[in-house]
Amino acid sequence: MDTLDYIVLGIAAVFQGPELFSLFGLPVSVTLVMIVFGFLSGIVVGATPGLAGPVAMAIALPILISTFGYTPDALLPVMGFLIGVMKGATVGGAVPAILFNTPGTPDAFMTTLDGYPMTRKGQARKALRVAHFSSVSGDTFSDVVLIVCAPFLALLVEGYLDLPEKTALLILSLSFIAAVIGGSPAKGLISVGLGLLAVFIGTGEDFYPRLSFGTEELSRGFPIATAILGILIVSAVFKELEELWREKRASGVIAPVAETGDQRLRFADIRALFPYIARSSVIGTAIGALPGIGSTLAATLGYTVGRSRYEKTKTDGDTEFGKGAPEGVAATEAANSSVSGANLIPVLSLGIPGNAAAVFLILAAESIGGFNPGPSVFRFTSDTVNPELVIAFGLFTSMFIANALNWTVGGLFMRSMGVMIRVPKQILLPIVLLLTLTAIYVQETRMVAIWFTLGFGVVGYFMRSVGISPLPFVIAFILGGKLEETARQAFAATGGDPFFLFNHPIALVFMVLSAAVIVFTTRKSREPG
Amino acid sequence: MGPATLGGRSIFTGPKTNLILGLAITVFALALVFVWIPLDTDTGLVEKVRRQVTIGDSLAPTVAGLFLLIGGGLLMLFERNAPDQRELAISSLGFIGVLVALIALSLLVMRFTGPALVAVVNMAFDSSLEYRLLRDSVPWKYAGYFIGGTVLLTGMISLVEGRVGRRTVLIAVAAVIVLIAIYDLPFDDLLLPPNGDV
Repeated sequence: MDTLDYIVLGIAAVFQGPELFSLFGLPVSVTLVMIVFGFLSGIVVGATPGLAGPVAMAIALPILISTFGYTPDALLPVMGFLIGVMKGATVGGAVPAILFNTPGTPDAFMTTLDGYPMTRKGQARKALRVAHFSSVSGDTFSDVVLIVCAPFLALLVEGYLDLPEKTALLILSLSFIAAVIGGSPAKGLISVGLGLLAVFIGTGEDFYPRLSFGTEELSRGFPIATAILGILIVSAVFKELEELWREKRASGVIAPVAETGDQRLRFADIRALFPYIARSSVIGTAIGALPGIGSTLAATLGYTVGRSRYEKTKTDGDTEFGKGAPEGVAATEAANSSVSGANLIPVLSLGIPGNAAAVFLILAAESIGGFNPGPSVFRFTSDTVNPELVIAFGLFTSMFIANALNWTVGGLFMRSMGVMIRVPKQILLPIVLLLTLTAIYVQETRMVAIWFTLGFGVVGYFMRSVGISPLPFVIAFILGGKLEETARQAFAATGGDPFFLFNHPIALVFMVLSAAVIVFTTRKSREPG
Repeated sequence: MGPATLGGRSIFTGPKTNLILGLAITVFALALVFVWIPLDTDTGLVEKVRRQVTIGDSLAPTVAGLFLLIGGGLLMLFERNAPDQRELAISSLGFIGVLVALIALSLLVMRFTGPALVAVVNMAFDSSLEYRLLRDSVPWKYAGYFIGGTVLLTGMISLVEGRVGRRTVLIAVAAVIVLIAIYDLPFDDLLLPPNGDV
C-alpha cells in the first residue's frame, strides 16, 4: 500500500460506499447524498439569523447516528454531512450580513462593513456574488493546504514527540487557546480551568468517582454532548433571547432598495479582487492551522490588511473601504472561509480541535468509534490497510466534493436565501432549544442529561455575560481526558519522574512557550489602545 | 468592540467587573484545591501502588484549579482596569431566572404528565395501567413530550414577546408535532423524553 493506493481507496470509500439510489445507471453513494444534503442545510442555517453551523450539527448528529448506527461504515456519511454543513454555513453566513446588516456569526461582522453599504447602493446581488466567489476561493485554497500539510505534520509529531512532549503539547494548546480566544488571557484561562474541572468530575481511575459528592448522577461524569451543547448552544440561545427581550425592538423595518447597475461578476472584477482574495486566503489558512484561533481574527486581519493595500492602490473616485467596496467583502470572506479547512490540520494530525465545527467532527468520531483523530491516523502502513487513513482520505474527498458543490450550485442557492431573514428569532430560538434538549435525550436517554445541559447553558450564559468566551471551555473539556491519560502514561514511562515535563528538551520548549504566550498576551492586553 | 453594558441597573459598578470576577474565581479555585478535592477524592496527587508511583485522581482537578487560580489572579492584578468590561445587569439576572424556572417547570411537566395521565385513567376506570409499560405505545409516549414541549415553547416565546397569544400556542403545538415527526416517527429505537428513564 503506498500513498496513491490510500488516496484511491479514500475516493472509492466516498463514491462506492453503500448505494442509496442510481442515476442514469450510475450508483449514487449515501455519503455523496449526505454531503449534498449537509451543504444545502448549512447554507440555510448560515443564512438564518441567530443560527450557525454548530446548531445544525448538534441537532443532526443524534439523528444521523441513529440512522447510520455505530459502525465504521457510518463515519463517512455522518462526517460528510457535517463537513457539508460547515462549508455551507460559512457561505450562507454572508447572506444576512450583506442583505440586512445582521451578521449571523461574529465572523460575518466584518462582511457587513462593505456588504451592507453595497446593498444600500443597489448592488446586493453583486455583493453576494463577490462574497461567494471569495469565500469559495479561500476555502479551496485552505483545503489544498490541509491535505498537503496534515499528513506531514502528523508524521512529524509521531516521529519526534514522545509521551512527555505530547503532554506538554496539550498544555501548550490549552494555554494558547486561552490566550488568543476572546482577547483576554485571564478569562481564557478561567474558561479552560472550568472546562477541565467539568470533565474531571466523576471520572478518574479510583473506585470512588472523584468530585461526585457521592451522588449517582455525577458518578458517571458529564456526557460530552451535554457540556458541548449546553455551553455552546443553549447559552447562546439564552443570550440571544435576553437581547431580544431587552430590545423588544424599536423595530428597524427594512425598506426595500431597488437594484441598480451591473450585478454580474465580470472577469475584470475577479482580476481586481484576486490580490485581496489571495492575501486573505493565506492569512486565513495560516491562522486556521493554529489550534484555537477562530475565523473572527482571520476576518479582522484579512480586512485590515486588505484595507491598507487598498489605501495605497486606489484611484480617486473608487469607493472607500467601509462604504461599499467589493474588495472589503472579498478580503473578509476569503479570510474567514479559508480558516475552516486549515482548522482540520490540528484536528486530524494532533486530535486538537480549533473551532466549533471541528469540535462536532471529533464528537461524531468519538460517538461512532473506529476513527480517533490524532497522529495515528496518518500511519502509512505498507503491508496492511490502515482503515483510519482511508477514512481521512475519504474526508478530504468529501471536502472537495463540498467545494465543487459550492462552486457550482452554492452561489445560486445562497442568493435565494434572503427570505430566511423573515423567520422571527423569538420563535426560532426556543424551538432550537427544545430540539437541542431532545437531541441530547435521544442520545443519553436520561432526564438528568437534560438537566446537565441546562446547567451548562446557565454557566455559559454567565460566562458570555461577563465576557468569557465559551470555546476554550469546550476545547478543554474535549482535551482534558486525553491530557490526563497522556500525563499518566508519561509519568509511568519515565519511571515516576515528577519533572518529566521539564527534563526533555522539546517538552521544556513547549512548557516555556505555554507560559510565554500567556505573559505576552497579558502584557499586550494591558497596553492602551 | 461589543457592548460594555447591558443596560439597566448593574451589580458591578462599571470597571469593577473584572476585579470581582477575579476575586470570586480565586476564592473558588482555592476552595476547590484545598477543600473540595481533598474531601471528595480518594487518591492524592501521586499514589504508591505496589511500589510503583502513579498519578492519583487529585492531580488533574488540581491542574484545573491552577488554571482557575492563574486566570483569577491575572484578572485581579493585570486586567482589573481593562477598558471594555461588561456589566451584569440585575434585570438580566431576573430574566435568566424566570427563563430557567420556566424551562425547569416545562421539563417537570414533561416528566410527570404521562404517569399523571395514567394515574387519572386508573382512577377513572379503575384499571391498573403502568406508565412504564406503556411508554413505548401511542398515545402515551407522546403525552409528556407534547404537553411539556408546548408549555416550554409557548412560555419562552411569550416571555420574550411580553404577551401570550393564541397564535403562539398554535406555533408551539405545530413545532412540537414537527419535532415528534423528526425524532420519533422514522426511528424505532429512539425514545422521546422522558420515556428512556421513567
